Amino acid sequence: MSDKQRVTRRQFLTYTLMGVGGFMAAGTVMPMLRFAVDPALQAKAGGDLIATGLKESEITNEPQRVDFKFDQQDGWYESQVTQSAWVYKDNNGDIIALSPICKHLGCTVNWNGNEEFPNQFYCPCHFGRYEKDGTNVKGTPPRGPLDRYDYEIKDGVLYLSMRAKPRGGA
Amino acid sequence: MRWTAKESALFFESKEYIDTALVPLTPIAFDEQGRETGNANEFIQLITMNIEKQFKGRILLLPAFTYFHSESDDWKNQLLASWLNELKSNFKHVFIISTDQSWKPILEKSGNEFIWLPAVPLEHLEDEYKTTIIEGQVKQLLNLFVMKWQNAVSQ
Ligand code: FES
Repeated sequence: MSDKQRVTRRQFLTYTLMGVGGFMAAGTVMPMLRFAVDPALQAKAGGDLIATGLKESEITNEPQRVDFKFDQQDGWYESQVTQSAWVYKDNNGDIIALSPICKHLGCTVNWNGNEEFPNQFYCPCHFGRYEKDGTNVKGTPPRGPLDRYDYEIKDGVLYLSMRAKPRGGA
Repeated sequence: MRWTAKESALFFESKEYIDTALVPLTPIAFDEQGRETGNANEFIQLITMNIEKQFKGRILLLPAFTYFHSESDDWKNQLLASWLNELKSNFKHVFIISTDQSWKPILEKSGNEFIWLPAVPLEHLEDEYKTTIIEGQVKQLLNLFVMKWQNAVSQ
C-alpha cells in the first residue's frame, strides 16, 4: 500500500511542478488519489485483530478496562493508536467488548462512573448513561448503544479488532 | 474537540454542549533554554491531547498560545488578556495550562483557572514509560474539570 502511495505522491508532485497546466492536472489527480488510498485504508481497518494483555481466564462478569496499541498509517505518517475497551462475560458466558467512546459527542465513558447510577456506564461530559450491555439509557443525550469490538481468543489471550462497530439503534 | 477541519465543523453544530476551552501557553526560546522549551512543548501537547481524548465532547483544545521567552511581559499579558476575553465570551469555563511558572501570579490574581505543571524530561524516556507518566498525571487533572463542572451545576 505504501508503495502505491509513494508513487502517486511523486506523480502529484511532478504534476504540480509542471506549472499551471500541472495544477489543472493535479485537480483531476486528487480525487483519483483518494480512491487509490481509501479502499486500502478500509481494508486494513476491518482486518487484523490485535492482542490485548488480557487472558480469557481473567475476564469476569464485571466490565474491566483494557488498553491495546497498534501502529496505523494515518495519511502521511505512521502513528501509534491506543484503543480502549470495556470487557466482560455476559450471563451466557459470551465475551462482550465495548468501546468507551460516548455516542453523543465522543467523551470517554466509565463503568460505575457515578455512584448514583451503579452498574451503568457513565459519561462525565453531559451525563450520558448506558446499561451494562451498552444500550443507551433513554432520556440521556446519547442516541445509540456503545460500539462493539470483534474479538477472538487465541492461545488463551483476548484479541480485539482495531475499530469497534456500531450496533443498530436501541 | 480539536481545532481541525472535521472537528471544528462538529464544534459549530454542537456548540451548546462544548462549554469548556483548554488553552496551552507555550514558550519558545533559542538560547540556553531552548531545549527545555522543546521538551515542555511536547509534554504539554501530550497532556492536553490526553485530556481532550477523555472529554472530547465537552472541551475544545485550542492551538497553543505561543510566545518567545524573551518577549516583554507587558506585551504577553496584553495579548493573553485579549485571548481570554474572547474565549470567555464563547465558553462558560476556560482552563489555561502551562509549564511556565511566570504566569502564575497574574493569572491566579485575575481569577483564572490556571494549571501549572512542571515539565517531566521526556528526551530519554521510552514510549511506554512516557505513556504511563502522562496518563498518571492526566488522571489527576481530570478531576479538576469534573469538579468545576459539578460546582457549576449545583450553583
Ligand atoms: S459526550 Fe457523552 S453525554 Fe455528551
